[in-house]
Amino acid sequence: METPVRTTHHAEAAAAFLRDEENVDWHNETLWFVRSKRDKAAAALPEWEDLREQASRIKNHTLSRLDEYLLDLEKNAQQNGITVHWAADADEHNRIILDIMRQHNATQVVKSKSMLTEECHLNPYLIKHGIDVVDTDLGERIVQLRNEPPSHIVLPAIHLKKQHIGDLFHQHLGTDAGATDPQYLTEAARLHLRQKFLLADVAITGVNFAVAETGGFVVCTNEGNADLGAHLAKVHIACMGIEKVIPKGEHLGVFLRLLARSATGQATTTYSSHFRRPAPGQTMHLVLVDNGRTRQLASPDFRNSLKCIRCGACMNTCPVYRRSGGHSYHTAIAGPIGSILAPNIDMKQYADLPFASTLCGSCTNVCPVKIDIHQQLYKWRQVLGEAGAVEPAKKVGMTGMDFLFSRPGLYRFAGRAGRQLMKFFPALANNGSLNPWAIHRDMPKPPAQSFRDWYAEQEKK
Amino acid sequence: MSRDRILSAIRQGKPDLQPLPDVIGFPSHIADTDLADSFLTMVRTNGGLGVRANSLDEVRAQIASEYDLTLPTLSHVDGLDLNNFTPTENLRLLDDLNLVVLEGSVAVAENAAIWFDETALGIRALPFITLNVVAIVSTRNLVGTMHEVYKRVDLNTSFGTFIAGPSKTADIEQSLVIGAHGSKTMTVFLLP
Ligand code: SF4
Repeated sequence: METPVRTTHHAEAAAAFLRDEENVDWHNETLWFVRSKRDKAAAALPEWEDLREQASRIKNHTLSRLDEYLLDLEKNAQQNGITVHWAADADEHNRIILDIMRQHNATQVVKSKSMLTEECHLNPYLIKHGIDVVDTDLGERIVQLRNEPPSHIVLPAIHLKKQHIGDLFHQHLGTDAGATDPQYLTEAARLHLRQKFLLADVAITGVNFAVAETGGFVVCTNEGNADLGAHLAKVHIACMGIEKVIPKGEHLGVFLRLLARSATGQATTTYSSHFRRPAPGQTMHLVLVDNGRTRQLASPDFRNSLKCIRCGACMNTCPVYRRSGGHSYHTAIAGPIGSILAPNIDMKQYADLPFASTLCGSCTNVCPVKIDIHQQLYKWRQVLGEAGAVEPAKKVGMTGMDFLFSRPGLYRFAGRAGRQLMKFFPALANNGSLNPWAIHRDMPKPPAQSFRDWYAEQEKK
Repeated sequence: MSRDRILSAIRQGKPDLQPLPDVIGFPSHIADTDLADSFLTMVRTNGGLGVRANSLDEVRAQIASEYDLTLPTLSHVDGLDLNNFTPTENLRLLDDLNLVVLEGSVAVAENAAIWFDETALGIRALPFITLNVVAIVSTRNLVGTMHEVYKRVDLNTSFGTFIAGPSKTADIEQSLVIGAHGSKTMTVFLLP
């Protein structure tokens, strides 16, 4: 018998996160604060909405000629002395990197933030093959020492309080017991990681944007860790999803204006570095990775998600993410955008994620490249339902709803009947054993009158 | 081969041609006369120190009073010879650097990002590995926005970077800490 697919994983993990009420409140409010900084930065630019539109159109255009731009990028990068690799999936990506390491007899790697390498599970792979990998972004180093994945693509350790980090650093870096001052802890990490930078044979970085026209690529950080790694090591490997290419240098102006403002409300990241040729005596590699992206591209409903520039704004604003924490999504990229990307990689394993949303649309409103995030989440629910990837109990409810939505007369009746029923027997609708949706969603109080009834009455008056 | 498989999958799956926007970018809403003030305000917002100076002599005097110039110092600015350090092949020795002085060829008023290319840097690692950075920028080389700056910079340089302040992180409980992995301070002297 086929094992029933479980779609409640997110809800269960969220329930565990919610047990620490104080931490949940802090998490919720802190991310909302980041979201309000984003709002302030956006409001300071009168052209903000037009800028989003421009970014969206540049990305749409690029996707419609993606093959040509990748070929331009490859040709120009090679002319500049960069070795270009193509990886069909995560395994090939990891093998390519290990091969490069072996060619250089390298054992020490420093890595700056790259969600792609998280997606490919590069760290465990390299460690298994005897390579010492050190994540150098402070938040990423924290979660690496805790043996956890990042819980947010921009703020990897946002699920932790300074006491956790103080204890962790006391244990691993020898900071004073009980010390929790962020300045002190950051300084300790700086000293610890500086030694790693100085000893590394190879630096791995992500890529924020690659420019077809110049064959170069741009890496943005606030900490300076990508640059320190890349400039000190003899070998620099930059890894990018194939959707990260843009046509021209002038397009960088549009994206760099949007990225940091959307992410943290800063006018720019501290460092935006443009790599085009290896330094004398250095070797530079660029790895182009598919890992499901061409499948996403071929789907008119979901290809739009490939425009993502990984700013994290959709997470900061999401009422579900803020209260359930990044780990509850059990995938490299959490939150609304991750819930669209993950089922494309494995529909069964991630069937729960498109349901981890209220479909309120706030993500869509903040997205700097105008991805219709909440609509795609809704579409995934249909796809998953049709493919039978949804838990049977939830599916019955969904089919029932589809049935109602496609029969407006019946829908109106059911609504009215439901309002009567819920008024007299609210426990019925909120009882998890009868209504599987009630476990994860409190049923709203029934309005005394539906809008339709109210409108009809006004007409009569 | 993966390359061909990926390319042919793209050709099969990509949508019909979507046009690029005709015009890229937007006019700056910072008036020319406000460029310097906006720039200096943003230097502060980014955690740096912005100072107006009338001449390189003035800059030299201020550097001498603010920094211990007996510690390893490198300057790549013509007319500001403060070098007491000779870099070798071994880049790791740059870890001793206390101060690096660089000239930015163009800078952006909306976010105080300053552009340094390979010529300005000499060695790429310099502004990242040193403890302190001093940047010299001329008011004549200020532009309003990132759209304008990309018309000015040469992206055919081997390496170039926008730097906007000292390195920073907020990864511990979102408290801002200045001085992550890159420089811990950045002072910008704005010349006429
Ligand atoms: S989907 Fe949009 S808002 Fe979310 S991370 Fe990507 S670019 Fe940012």
